[in-house]
Amino acid sequence: MYTGILGAWVAVFLTLSILSYLYKDNVFYKLAEHIFVGVSAAHWATIAFWNQVQPNLFGRLWPQTDVASLSGFDKFWYGIYHGLHVLFGKVFPEETLNGVLYRGIGDQPQNLTYLFAFILGVFMLFRLIPKIGWLSRWSLAYVIGMAAGLRLYGYMSSDVIGQIHATMLPLWTGHLGSSINNIILIVGVLTGLFYFFFSVEHKGALKVVSRIGIYYLMIYFGASFGFAVMGRISLLIGRFNDLIEYSGKQYWFATPILLIVMVVVLVLTTRKEKEEA
Amino acid sequence: MAKQSFIERLDTLDRRIIFLIIGFVVLMPLLIPLGLPIETTQLTEDAFYALDDLPVNAKVLLSFEYGPSTKPEIHPMAVSVLRHLFSKGNKVIIMCLWPDGLFMANEALDLVARQEFNLEYGVDYVNLGYRPGNEAVIKGITKSFEANFSVDAKGTSITAIPIMHDIQTVKDVDFIFSFSAGYPGAIEWVLYAGDPLKVPVSSGNTSIQVNQLLPYVKSGQMKGVIAGMPGAAEYETLLIKKVENGEGQLNQQARMLLPDFKDNRDATKFMDAQSIAHLVIVLFIVIGNISYFVKRKKQRKY
Repeated sequence: MYTGILGAWVAVFLTLSILSYLYKDNVFYKLAEHIFVGVSAAHWATIAFWNQVQPNLFGRLWPQTDVASLSGFDKFWYGIYHGLHVLFGKVFPEETLNGVLYRGIGDQPQNLTYLFAFILGVFMLFRLIPKIGWLSRWSLAYVIGMAAGLRLYGYMSSDVIGQIHATMLPLWTGHLGSSINNIILIVGVLTGLFYFFFSVEHKGALKVVSRIGIYYLMIYFGASFGFAVMGRISLLIGRFNDLIEYSGKQYWFATPILLIVMVVVLVLTTRKEKEEA
Repeated sequence: MAKQSFIERLDTLDRRIIFLIIGFVVLMPLLIPLGLPIETTQLTEDAFYALDDLPVNAKVLLSFEYGPSTKPEIHPMAVSVLRHLFSKGNKVIIMCLWPDGLFMANEALDLVARQEFNLEYGVDYVNLGYRPGNEAVIKGITKSFEANFSVDAKGTSITAIPIMHDIQTVKDVDFIFSFSAGYPGAIEWVLYAGDPLKVPVSSGNTSIQVNQLLPYVKSGQMKGVIAGMPGAAEYETLLIKKVENGEGQLNQQARMLLPDFKDNRDATKFMDAQSIAHLVIVLFIVIGNISYFVKRKKQRKY
């Protein structure tokens, strides 16, 4: 019960602190902003570690196995795991079931090629040590190369070829409405593309074509702005809905109390600033 | 200096007064609901019927790519889509490309799968959790789910989850639905899974993304879009209409849950505030333009 109430108070405080920026930059806003940045970074890192690094990387390097059955290289390999267990027991667990000692994570098949990813990951952390920071470029080169190749394929097949294919439409479909739609679409694509063609000067008839392209772009920007406003209002509604919910007795009147306190503090600090000025 | 008229003075109005007015018009309809009608649009209907036409026991992959910051827009869609799929007996596989998506997915599942439908985890639905890697994760599951999701969100091995037994890659699911608030999101699903594997894709999005997605809908690469809060309200309306009229596939549980569906419609509840706020913003734009033109006319005169 009390954790729920505490959570509500924190939520209300942070919401009102961020909204207070609409009045002016102030200490509440700065505090909420810094908390947000810190918590977000920590939250992301924690989730990524326990959802990806631990089960998918360490789990593949050291899948769970019966220690008694180990021999040769595996014995040495799981010896390293045991060393890591001594240092970081929570990340590298060991458990005893029915008197049998098990080391490792999960039940996936072992795949030592993940060692390559592990090493590149460690190289990324070397950015923190300036002397060997250059090693992180190898990891970045891998990430950039992989992402570029992956995206090139996706964009070429779906965005370029897919969209060109979708624009090859008949100007007359036998139905007036859909024919007008197709004409608007084709004119928009052609004039919009021409607007960004700078190898000839846009004058005379070409200027008209280019101008039509601009109008299409303006309509696009207008529609985008409208959607952006709609989205922001939706978010405001969400915050207000929570503020209303937390203003009740069951949350110890979190919203009205914090609102009054913050308004009083802001008024007093503003007055003090004016006096000092 | 010539005395300024009221219209001219509006041009220099303190922006904080505008914030206050917007705050007021958003707050009032939340306190005193107006019950404005919701009309459905083609975009939402396309997404709704694409899911509605799926056969019983079809497997749907839901990807959660949003967090608390966009929750008011997208979470009502997630709740409605889950209700819709479970009403038809579809199986649901959930994954997240955003870390916060995991919490959003758990919250939606807790309400719909556990409290409302009382479904069995691992048999009727599964939450595979979050994986970092953006589109690389999508590309990865086109080859193997197991290679990317060795365990689910609870840490259970994916091989021990019954619903995943006949799903090796994303090609084995019948439909992909992305709840997306940005990158990675719906576009990446089209690019790296929908188009290459010919698996139908649809999406519920924040309003700001809709313009970017419309070309994919127009080209048939996406089956409709639920566009922002209005789209979510439309989806809620379509679902309630379906259950009320007993249209298409529906299980008995869905009919019994109709009062709950009606009572818990966040998007519909919020739409009054949205509509009134839009009206006021349009009014501001009109007044701002009048003020600008009056001022310009006066400046030319002198």
